[in-house]
Amino acid sequence: MLTKELLRVSRRGGGYHPQFVGDDAEARDLAARVLGVYQGHVGETRGDLDSALDELEAEFAFKLVRGFAKLLDRETAFETRAPLDPERTRRLVFECAESVSVATDADRREALDRAAERMRVPTDGIEQSLYADREVQQVLVNFDSRWTPETLCEQYDLSLAQTALFDATEVCVRSSDPATLVSTVKRLRLLYEIRRTDQGREVVVTGPDALFRRSRRYGTRFARLLRTVASASEWTLEATIDDRNTERTLRLDESDVSVPGVEPVTEMTFDSGVEADFAARFQSLDLDWSLVREPEPLAAGEHVVIPDFAFDWNHGEFRVFFEVMGFWTPEYVAKKLSRFGDLEDVAFLVAVDESLGVGEEVEALTDGAIPYSGTVRVKDVVDALREYEADLLTEARASLPDELRPDDDVISLADLADEHGVSEQTLDSVAFPDHEIVGRTLVRPAVLDTVAETIEAGQSLDAVESTLAGEDLSDTSAVLSRLGYRVEWEGLGGGVLKKKD
Amino acid sequence: MASLTYDEGTIRVDGEVSVPLPGVERDPRSESGRAPAYRYAQLRDALRPLAADVRDDVLDLVDVSELHSSYDLREYQRDALDAWEESDRRGVLELPTGSGKTVIAIGAIERLATPTLVVVPTIDLLNQWRGELEAEFDVPVGQLGGGEQRVEPVTVATYDSAYLRADELGDRFGLLVFDEVHHLGGEGYRDIARLMAAPARLGLTATFERPDGAHEAIEELVGPLVYDLEVDDLAGDHLAPYDIKRIEVSLGPEERARYDEAQGIFTDYLRESDIQLRSGSDYQELVKRSGTDPKAREALLAKQHAREIVANADAKVETLSDILDRHAEDRIIVFTAYTDLVYRLSERFLLPAITNETGTTERSQILDRFREGDYSRVVTANVLDEGVDVPDANVAVVLSGSGSQREFTQRLGRVLRPKEDGGRALLYEVVSEETSEERVAARRR
Repeated sequence: MLTKELLRVSRRGGGYHPQFVGDDAEARDLAARVLGVYQGHVGETRGDLDSALDELEAEFAFKLVRGFAKLLDRETAFETRAPLDPERTRRLVFECAESVSVATDADRREALDRAAERMRVPTDGIEQSLYADREVQQVLVNFDSRWTPETLCEQYDLSLAQTALFDATEVCVRSSDPATLVSTVKRLRLLYEIRRTDQGREVVVTGPDALFRRSRRYGTRFARLLRTVASASEWTLEATIDDRNTERTLRLDESDVSVPGVEPVTEMTFDSGVEADFAARFQSLDLDWSLVREPEPLAAGEHVVIPDFAFDWNHGEFRVFFEVMGFWTPEYVAKKLSRFGDLEDVAFLVAVDESLGVGEEVEALTDGAIPYSGTVRVKDVVDALREYEADLLTEARASLPDELRPDDDVISLADLADEHGVSEQTLDSVAFPDHEIVGRTLVRPAVLDTVAETIEAGQSLDAVESTLAGEDLSDTSAVLSRLGYRVEWEGLGGGVLKKKD
Repeated sequence: MASLTYDEGTIRVDGEVSVPLPGVERDPRSESGRAPAYRYAQLRDALRPLAADVRDDVLDLVDVSELHSSYDLREYQRDALDAWEESDRRGVLELPTGSGKTVIAIGAIERLATPTLVVVPTIDLLNQWRGELEAEFDVPVGQLGGGEQRVEPVTVATYDSAYLRADELGDRFGLLVFDEVHHLGGEGYRDIARLMAAPARLGLTATFERPDGAHEAIEELVGPLVYDLEVDDLAGDHLAPYDIKRIEVSLGPEERARYDEAQGIFTDYLRESDIQLRSGSDYQELVKRSGTDPKAREALLAKQHAREIVANADAKVETLSDILDRHAEDRIIVFTAYTDLVYRLSERFLLPAITNETGTTERSQILDRFREGDYSRVVTANVLDEGVDVPDANVAVVLSGSGSQREFTQRLGRVLRPKEDGGRALLYEVVSEETSEERVAARRR
């Protein structure tokens, strides 16, 4: 984190945009020069280092120079170099000065000589030691930087964003790793609540006192939270900033800030072998549901439940949450059950290890319990999902009219279902007065007539296919069969059209 | 059955209660009731009739019944304390400097025999209070601020440290004492009183009224003004009369040239960018501009440099040499706002120095030695601020820029004492001759 006076932020268009350096080449060169100044000042005083930095400040954006320097200071060791202990020397010198009552240069010399005599050292040593412990006099003894110009820029951007958060009064986060997010929020003694938005659930983070007044006192904790947030592979953060009594919004995501040295985990990770095994087997099937790992946190009273998986319905907005409840301590089970009891109203399935003996309780608290021992059977889960499917189909069918008259001359049922956000199956009971169903495609009779006039027996299959392609018909065999033709194959080469017998 | 617990600066109320609770709001985040911690005393009173049905775990106090003090309170000190107790142990005492505010607070801590946090505005006051509390109570005294973070049943904290840790420590004290309580009016500092649950609160100040009306906020958080005493009420303790001498010095030729150069850069910038400095806010505008405009920054740095040349003028050092020579038998405090100049003077005249760089131990050691007469001179940046026991001196020297800081010299005048032989106290103001900006600009043209 930087200090507040080093914050670089643009308020363009009423927003609040930290001036990130990203992979700007000039900034990287500057980072390299600042690193060079530190490396070049090993053995010299803090005061000399500061003047060298001052020169860079005159040439470049001074807040950026100081920001880099601030980060490097942490890896820099200074120490006092003096022949005598400065504090002790001062005490003695001031005592001697008192007895001389120093005003002139000659008085001064006398006082110093007396002190030197008492300490049995040369007068020079006294003078060198007097204020050798002042910060500006201290010597840079070790500079052991883990940064390269690139990673220094990366760290700068993270620190800059953290600094911007100092003035935040509230932070909303969406993260691909909600479990870590929530545990960090707790560790930082902050409070969260789950808010539902059009883009999904987000975690709203505030401090206890925020209930009574908007406060920036949690700003440093929000700044620390950012490290956790930015370690996820996908995230967005939206903060309300109290910018000298004007409320502004700060928006950040993984393209702005990352944590140097931390590779965000993009592949699915699992708490247990049962979960990993289940995910692998489920994904190998071609179902109307997609598997999502640690989908989003759900509100459960004052707590939160982060389900292991969700199944997203491929033909519309519907999500079923799924938790695998393995064997654990009785306290864990009791806690889980209490959370399920408080859970917000969502579709929620739980696979319960039979040895826990709580299947009935879970059944009562959620949409359904799927007992398992050893491994969760995919078939059982698919069966449970079927029940939702039936409802989803009915619901989707209810949203469609009894007849559909698409504008296209030719359209596949799959595309039409997509357009209406339903599954292909839903269209089974819909009538298409203007079209004929050929295979799984709707075709206007006029199109079929045109094709029928163009093709004839004896044509090569290639020629026929290009004719059909001209009319957007791809299901060749279905069309040919409808028009009363078949293909006679000649060895391994192309086929020839024949009238069906 | 309802329960009250302390939660990070708030009082959390779980369970249902049949009476209305002052300040408690529903908090959906924790599915509980919640109130700011400063309402705890009221909440406790409101719940008293239901005592059997309420479990109160808010405060976590250590037993400190062994707190005994040997102070015999003076009559007005006892009156002040009685008035505070009658006001439910919440309230502010307005008392002039030198009336023994620390003694009254010690009296309050002794009467309540409860863990206490004393909040003070400066490091010097922090050291002073800690010293007095340790001497009086013979218990370890905690300290938050000045490089230390140690909590004990009796703890002294700076406003800054108390602000940072208020929500973490808010259940550990039964009594809060705010020295110079008018500081609590600052927007951030109010959190200290808001987030702590201590039912008893004592504010001490010499000037309660704040022009911004923030004393009303203090009333809500600490309590009303329950006692005030005028300077005149304190018989026999009046301030020393003192004389002021003003000495003007000029820049040397080489200093003059460097000054003109720096000042020229500044005035040229103002002319080129058509900026006129009529008020403080014009200047603020320039400072703001310097954040993005390198030329404005260069101009400001030049201006700062010019000021430093003036403040550090060699002639001032020579003048100080004369003054020190003339007052070899006196007790002298030298002030200047520039830390670098403090060290230059310290090295040149071998004067003990106190600045914001000085560590706590060395700082109190220097002040002690000055007080006891081992040292008769000390040089300092303007850190010996309000309320601090400044060791008696009869000569003060202020090395300022070109203008005088009236407010500061007045305050300084108050710490001066006449010599034992009755000689009047003396205040020197050493300033640079007026350096006319117009003249500099004209010469460069």
